[in-house]
Amino acid sequence: MDSTSSAQERWLAAYRDAGVDPSLPEAGYRSLPELVHASCGRFAALDPRAKAYTCVVANGMNGSLGFAEVDALSDAFAAYLRGVLGLQAGERVAVQLPNSLSYPVVAFGVLKAGCVLVNTNPLYTTSEMVHQFRDAGVSALVMIDMFADKLPEVLGQTGIRHVVLAGVPEFFPAVPRTVIRGVQRFWNRVLPPVTVPHVRLQSALAQGRQALAGTPARSYWEALRSEDLAVLQYTGGTTGVSKGAMLTHGNLLVNVQQMLAMGATHMAPGKECVLTALPLYHIFAFTVNLLGFLSLGARNILIPNPRPVQNLQRAVENYPLTWITGVNTLFNALLNEEWFLAYPPRRLKASIAGGAALHSAVAQRWREVTSTPIAEGYGLTEAAPVVSFNPLQGTPPLGSIGIPVPGTDVRLVDGSGAEVADGEPGEILVRGPQVMQGYWNNPAETALALQDGWLSTGDVAVMSPNGFLRIVDRKKDLILVSGFNVYPNEVEDAIAELDAVLEVAVVGVPDNSSGEAVRAYVVANPEYPGELTHDMVLSHCRSRLAAYKVPRTVLVRTELPKTPVGKVLRKDLKAEVKREFSGD
Amino acid sequence: MVTEFETKLLGFMMMIIMLGMGASLTWRDFLIALRKPKGVIVGLVCQYGLMPLLGFALAMGLGFTPALAVGLILMACMPGGTTSNIFSYFSKAVLALSIMMTSISTLVALVMVPTLLEFYSSAAGIGGDFMIPATNVAQILLVLLVPTLIGMVLRKVSPNVGATLELLGGLMGIVVILFLIVTWVPRNHALLADTPVAVYAAAIGLGLIGMALGYGLARLLRQDANRSRTIALETGIQNGPLAILIVTLSITGPMQQDVLLIPVLYSLFIVVSSSFVTVFFRRMSERDALVRDQRKAGVLAPR
Repeated sequence: MDSTSSAQERWLAAYRDAGVDPSLPEAGYRSLPELVHASCGRFAALDPRAKAYTCVVANGMNGSLGFAEVDALSDAFAAYLRGVLGLQAGERVAVQLPNSLSYPVVAFGVLKAGCVLVNTNPLYTTSEMVHQFRDAGVSALVMIDMFADKLPEVLGQTGIRHVVLAGVPEFFPAVPRTVIRGVQRFWNRVLPPVTVPHVRLQSALAQGRQALAGTPARSYWEALRSEDLAVLQYTGGTTGVSKGAMLTHGNLLVNVQQMLAMGATHMAPGKECVLTALPLYHIFAFTVNLLGFLSLGARNILIPNPRPVQNLQRAVENYPLTWITGVNTLFNALLNEEWFLAYPPRRLKASIAGGAALHSAVAQRWREVTSTPIAEGYGLTEAAPVVSFNPLQGTPPLGSIGIPVPGTDVRLVDGSGAEVADGEPGEILVRGPQVMQGYWNNPAETALALQDGWLSTGDVAVMSPNGFLRIVDRKKDLILVSGFNVYPNEVEDAIAELDAVLEVAVVGVPDNSSGEAVRAYVVANPEYPGELTHDMVLSHCRSRLAAYKVPRTVLVRTELPKTPVGKVLRKDLKAEVKREFSGD
Repeated sequence: MVTEFETKLLGFMMMIIMLGMGASLTWRDFLIALRKPKGVIVGLVCQYGLMPLLGFALAMGLGFTPALAVGLILMACMPGGTTSNIFSYFSKAVLALSIMMTSISTLVALVMVPTLLEFYSSAAGIGGDFMIPATNVAQILLVLLVPTLIGMVLRKVSPNVGATLELLGGLMGIVVILFLIVTWVPRNHALLADTPVAVYAAAIGLGLIGMALGYGLARLLRQDANRSRTIALETGIQNGPLAILIVTLSITGPMQQDVLLIPVLYSLFIVVSSSFVTVFFRRMSERDALVRDQRKAGVLAPR
């Protein structure tokens, strides 16, 4: 306890300097349904015409839901699950939807029903779906209709009893809805015939509304307490089989408050408009955008498909964005769009980046182009997710992922579990009210990740004397060159400074003389007039890095493997390297 | 002959097409295009330099009568058609450039079309009754700017209305062709049977040769392959319905039929030729992408 309290004091001064309240904010609600209901009620009363969620497709067609509508529709969906389908409190309901107006209605409906939300990536293969649904013991599934062709195979292998299908243009005005469905059906041909018993979302809601007459939705969630399980968020895709992090209502409520505390200097209730291009089924957008900005009365601009990034143009042009949340790849992609550079959002106040390291070159350019701060944070699914954030005021140290958010305790330890000396790299351990309860039905993995309330993150960082953390790398991504530690992030950051480079990823490859050698995968910037050459990358690295950190090989690719949120998947590149070196 | 009712209907459909074109763009798009104007300028050179010259050359070379010649020259002087945007989309070309070329060529049409039409008509020695008055053309184009501007405003007011109109305008380009096939073709089958092969050749050739020359000139002016394909489609695909409307509003009496022949035939056949070219271009786009990938991976292979 002694070491913790002294460590915590380090960053107290930083809170003060940045105008952040260091005390752990009160959640104010006992459950997520209470947050949804109270926020919707408050902001609907303030301005009945204000929109909570607006979904914008690539050609600018859009639909919106007001605060009162979100509350009423999610009530109806809760009543459908409990009153019509007869699900019990605590049963798992999988939601497999892209960003769309259905997402808040359904996700809040599941939570209001007292059921457990299982967020699922719509692009999952059937085997990934089967694994996740069986592991979570899912009894009902709400799915986007575009992938309904996977259902016959999936349903037979899982315990799913009920299927609800929703479309992308759900809740859009009639004409654009018809046009989008027409385009999907006849032009893009992405609506497969549905061969399994199912209910369309609108019909489920109609049935739910009738059931509400007898039993108000409040009766399903009134008894929920903060320690009750709210969400099973699957993770661990970067290492083998995925596991379900158990996040309670309390974990998520606290994390919302922690995030809002860090952003408070740049947030005004009822006045914000946030771009939500990251998928809501991912924990970052789920906590920050879906819940956090809702509780602030902001308008969420939901983008169903942010790739190509051109798809964001109409959303950026047509709405007065004040906040953007994203990952490095999104910010980088926007900075390479002519329309964005010509007209960056005028009302923007701040942007936050998470999910993967924000390259300092990208951050620097973002500040120049938008004239607003961009703050990098750090988190992981197991911490619901936010652990640390840079304050928006002041200049954070280069490469910093910030100070622990209020109420969070962080220690850096070496391989033996002992705390490292000041300025030395060590694995981040986190303790705080946002840390998960464990992995669902997986005591072995839980025991590895959680010890005495401390969560092992697997990320290596150093801490500055005033408490700012800087990630050195993923523990397992470390490259060992002739006994020297090379952290891929550092090399990537150096290469990303080149204008000719759009994206970069660095991994280790086996090497006879040095054990491992550094290899860089780069994607050429199409806007760059000249050609990206091997020598260009190498000479730049030589001028910036110690010799052993300079890549031995540079490979140019047209794209890098990425997760749905745009994190570069080093593990895929490593697998490629492994095949390359074992093959011949 | 085209009845008065049909002329009015054609005018109405043209209004929808222009409304849709207006709804496809914003002021910002214009300003962004003007920051890097090279593509659009190359496109305009193809549109108003190459095509009218090609039309004139075909009319002279094939020894057309004044009525046929004026129809062909008018067709060649038209701005880009909105259907080119649909074909660009399908051929994986640069959609933004296509939309911009259509819009800007339509705006400058107000000056370019009357000027070019007068120049080439007199160069071809066309006079009297067959001459389409320049002021007439300018007036029609000016009137059509009104729905274009309304389209732009509607887009600004409601993105939903704008995107719907954009789609509707694109479809209307096809509807006009269908309209011609069901109304004009059956009544004129005798005329079509008597029409010499040279007229068909000119109507089809204007589009196809235009695309080939447009591609060549764009490449010569150092546009990359994909942008050149966009410019090629844009150059070859003219606004056929607009030409038909101008003829029906400017020329009355029995000679209208002869002047109308090439614009109508062009409009019917351009859909077919563009479809073939689109399939071909799409393959080229995909092959180019593949080659680019391989070359990049090869150049920087490990030592």
